[in-house]
Amino acid sequence: MNDLPRKPLGPDADALASARPKYVGKAVQRLEDPRLLTGAGRYTADIRADRMVHAAFLRSEQAHARIKSIDCEAARGLPGVTGVYTAADFAGIPVIKAPSRMRDYRATSCTVLASEKVRYVGEPVAVVIARDRYIAEDALALIEVDWEPLDVAADPESAAYDGAPLLHDELGTNILFERVFETGEPDDAMAQAPHRVSGRFRMHRKSPLAIEPRSYVAEPDRANDGLTLYGSTQIPGILRDILSGLLDLPGSRIRVVAPDVGGGFGGKGSLYPEEIAVCALARRLGRTVKWVSDRSEDLASTSQGFDEIIEAELGFDDDGALIALKGRVTGDIGAYSIYPWTAALEPVQVVSFLPGPYRIPHYRGEVKGVATPKPPTGPYRGVGRPASVFVTERLIDMAAAHLGIDPAGMRRKNLVAEDEFPYRIGSGIVWDRSGFAECLDEACSRIGYEGLRKLQREARAAGRWYGIGIATYAELTGIGSRISVAPGMPINTGTETASIRVDSTGAVTATFAVASHGQSLETTLAQIVAEELGVRPEDVRIVQGDSGATSHGTGTYASRSAVLGGGAAIVTSRVLRDKIKRVASHLLEAAVEDIETGNGRVFVAGTDKSVTFAEVAHAVYSDMRALPAEARENLEASESYDPVTGTTTTATHIATVRIDPETLAVSIDRYLVAEDCGRMINPLVVDGQVHGGVAQGVGAALLEELSYDETGQLLTGSLADYTVPTAAEVPPIEVFHLETELPGNPGGFRGMGEGGTIGAPAAIANAISDALSPLGVGVTELPVTPERLFRLVSEARNKTDTEK
Amino acid sequence: MKPAPFEYLRATSVSEALEFLQHDDAKIIAGGQSLVPMMNFRLAQPERLVDINAIAELTEISEDGADIVIGSLVRHAEAMRSPLLARRLPVIAEAMRHVAHLAIRNRGTVGGSLVHADPSAEWPLLVALLNGEIIVEGPEERRYLAAEEFFIAPLVTDIGEDEILTAVRFPEPPSGAGMAFDEVARRAGDFAMAASGALVQVEGGVIRDLRVALGGVGDGPVRASALEEELTGKPVDAVSVADIAELACEGLEPMTDLHASAEYRLHLVPVLVGRVLETALARAAGGRA
Ligand SMILES: Cc1cc2nc3c(=O)[nH]c(=O)nc-3n(C[C@H](O)[C@H](O)[C@H](O)COP(=O)(O)OP(=O)(O)OC[C@H]3O[C@@H](n4cnc5c(N)ncnc54)[C@H](O)[C@@H]3O)c2cc1C
Repeated sequence: MNDLPRKPLGPDADALASARPKYVGKAVQRLEDPRLLTGAGRYTADIRADRMVHAAFLRSEQAHARIKSIDCEAARGLPGVTGVYTAADFAGIPVIKAPSRMRDYRATSCTVLASEKVRYVGEPVAVVIARDRYIAEDALALIEVDWEPLDVAADPESAAYDGAPLLHDELGTNILFERVFETGEPDDAMAQAPHRVSGRFRMHRKSPLAIEPRSYVAEPDRANDGLTLYGSTQIPGILRDILSGLLDLPGSRIRVVAPDVGGGFGGKGSLYPEEIAVCALARRLGRTVKWVSDRSEDLASTSQGFDEIIEAELGFDDDGALIALKGRVTGDIGAYSIYPWTAALEPVQVVSFLPGPYRIPHYRGEVKGVATPKPPTGPYRGVGRPASVFVTERLIDMAAAHLGIDPAGMRRKNLVAEDEFPYRIGSGIVWDRSGFAECLDEACSRIGYEGLRKLQREARAAGRWYGIGIATYAELTGIGSRISVAPGMPINTGTETASIRVDSTGAVTATFAVASHGQSLETTLAQIVAEELGVRPEDVRIVQGDSGATSHGTGTYASRSAVLGGGAAIVTSRVLRDKIKRVASHLLEAAVEDIETGNGRVFVAGTDKSVTFAEVAHAVYSDMRALPAEARENLEASESYDPVTGTTTTATHIATVRIDPETLAVSIDRYLVAEDCGRMINPLVVDGQVHGGVAQGVGAALLEELSYDETGQLLTGSLADYTVPTAAEVPPIEVFHLETELPGNPGGFRGMGEGGTIGAPAAIANAISDALSPLGVGVTELPVTPERLFRLVSEARNKTDTEK
Repeated sequence: MKPAPFEYLRATSVSEALEFLQHDDAKIIAGGQSLVPMMNFRLAQPERLVDINAIAELTEISEDGADIVIGSLVRHAEAMRSPLLARRLPVIAEAMRHVAHLAIRNRGTVGGSLVHADPSAEWPLLVALLNGEIIVEGPEERRYLAAEEFFIAPLVTDIGEDEILTAVRFPEPPSGAGMAFDEVARRAGDFAMAASGALVQVEGGVIRDLRVALGGVGDGPVRASALEEELTGKPVDAVSVADIAELACEGLEPMTDLHASAEYRLHLVPVLVGRVLETALARAAGGRA
């Protein structure tokens, strides 16, 4: 034997690797950034048109009132005003209802502008069209509404009683749905459990608060009797489909475009009255109509998140093994059941995910959604899971404390183990194999968990308040058609289609129905297409967010775009690559099997024979002598992908906090995330999503709350009172990745856009509770504002004083 | 969120500004950081705005004999960076760090903050703490007002519609005095839920001069007079800050709002007073180490 390296048989592996570079998994710089960072982006508010007019909405100042009359005469007379419109002007547009197949579900009826009565402060009542927004707002001040105030039941518990003032008289109740999930024998098992902990938890109402408020520009196409709606939306495809029906226009004459969009977080993921209004008025006036929400309108009228009361109980044995879980959720869903998701979206997911990543044989989750005079709730980053994880993770910590077991050990004992996957939890959700325990272990070892406990003992001895909080969760992402059909929504969210083409210059364009609003999809989808086709990411133009470019597609929400869009990118690229190879095999006079692609070239592996993509395209489209007619295949492919069920994503978050025992100021000391989203497309993007998600979770945990008083008035109507975390309140975030394989999925990608927001509220709540544990109190209500903490600590101190 | 129509006039001297203010419904605009949001919410709808930003004489920080004079157009950021103030009244820079955010500190002015008179604002508290004198120019006369005369209620002061605040004058602080400022706010840059400043002069181990001012717990800035009386003349060594800080709450009736209840504010007062007193004592010549 000699030590000389042996020449590999066949083509040189290194040479092949460099001729055929991989991009998936690489920290590719965001391709959209040069545009966005140099001001070359184009947001809806940037759109201008000839003879464009501006809309401003008169919004209800009443939570629940009958509209006796609206006097618009003075407003109409103001110079510069084109028109003032009320509900009657939109009478031709069908009432909007969000249907569902769910038993005991009652859809609400919503009109473009409130007719007869209003159901929340901020509900649009009239719209002014004027030469500019200033005049439009001047005119608003001249409209007089004669209100007849009606009784208000502003909190969901009082609104659920028989005899409570009804928001929708025709429904006969404010309870819009009720559901129960049950597995095993929760009552018996709970009664027999050796130990139980329980609590009444509250997750307050939150605003999605994208930095770009909702904005729409509707441009009539008078030549074709059509319309284009430019809008800051996450769901151009869904909007095109519903608007087609509402405006009675075929999909070919109505186009919905989401240009650059400055964040959504769920708040731009539903149908809004303002969208319908600007479209209808643009058609009526034959002029482009623009509406840009201001921040106060955004706070008062964009769909809101969370808002649940959750009573829950956990039973376990002497060793800490979980036996039974019961949860009862009352969701305050606001005034209307939002289209297309329905009011059930958020609260039902709370009970769906309450058992979490744990082995709990007996479960019952009951949920009801109650209509109250507040803006509709809708999707918000994490949907249901921030609340369920908060509750379950608090209960786990309470159980650990009850038994004197370490919280990390308590979790390790109960997490679904490797050999138990796929595992069906009590609500029916099935977890595929994902690194539940691995993330917990990784997080603990990276943060030096044992060392932190030692630090805590020292801090306590010195009278300092220091707490460590863990949150472990799993979520279902990238949901496919089998699960998405279940609620009976009128839309299909379970598939995604990619259309990819090489044009006659050899350039690659890939079209998707996703609608990136900060998710970096122009980069990650380009990475996938580039790797599969054999070009560079910067050579792939991604078209997305334009309903005119696709037959069907719904948009970007629910951690779906990397899984579904990425899956579609792979399957479609492969079909197209085979076409390219077949064509090239003629040009290169080689067998198809020997042909590879990479760096924009098509080559015979192991040789220097190659043609460029441009040469292949020229041969197909332009040089009619180059190929036999039967070998001319258009270089286009369009395929769909359906993950059928969905993919499981998991993470463990660990937060440590310091609390000033005197002022009760909370500061987050360290924040660490160990997550498993399967194969990462781009670690920079994954980190960015985690960072942003955790920042929103910090808001949910400590700061952000939409407060309504008992009459339904919004108290937090501006950013002076609705407090979001700033750079100063968000700690540095350490992120570690595990990449559990996902067999049977083309890319192995799991969705991860929401996880940060799901784990952070629970981890921070647990850390604060841990810091306060010597006082015998814990957090049950989020956000933990200084005022709430003050009351919690004062109660504990008073209690110990009286006990003394 | 667009303001109602208004007329805009730009003054280049105090006398011109006073002339422009001769109108039924005119308002001065300085940094615009409080007024413009109020106008955008249509809570303020002045018919005429008188812009004073071009009046050079209002932009100075200067010494007049032993006094320190800060022109009304001095920006929070300028006060924070001023070497003169750092030397003579370092507590001002210490407080300015808590005012809003960089962009707002670059625009917002001393005069605007005093006239806006938010009960949690730092400038009113500083004027109360440092025995400042607010100088107001009117069509007929010039007036000199102490904090307790100037601040009447939240967002209400003694200044007339036709007057302009030109400067605030601070007397020389007692020699060797130590000063300190601290506050608790929900987020960095938010208005304080409670704030406190202290100034203490110690001679021969005895507290000669003591002032404690509070913000966010009353209609305007408040002096903790019961506490001041109790401590003045006492030997430093005999003072246990923890024991006396409660005295600072005497007579306080703080408001409850969305961010903090009256009880929580009252809880914060002795904590803050204790902290600023300790720091001021440590900084005073001949005070505690
Ligand atoms: C997000 C945010 C956070 C903030 N946080 C803080 C904080 O923590 N602490 C704090 O103290 N402030 C805070 N502020 C307010 C800020 O300090 C303002 O700068 C200040 O209150 C007003 O100063 P201005 O120069 O902008 O006045 P303007 O807004 O121009 O005017 C305010 C009022 O004063 C009147 N006025 C102004 N100058 C004169 C004058 N020379 N004579 C007579 N009348 C005059 C105006 O007519 C108006 O009524 C904050 C502001 C914002 C937007």
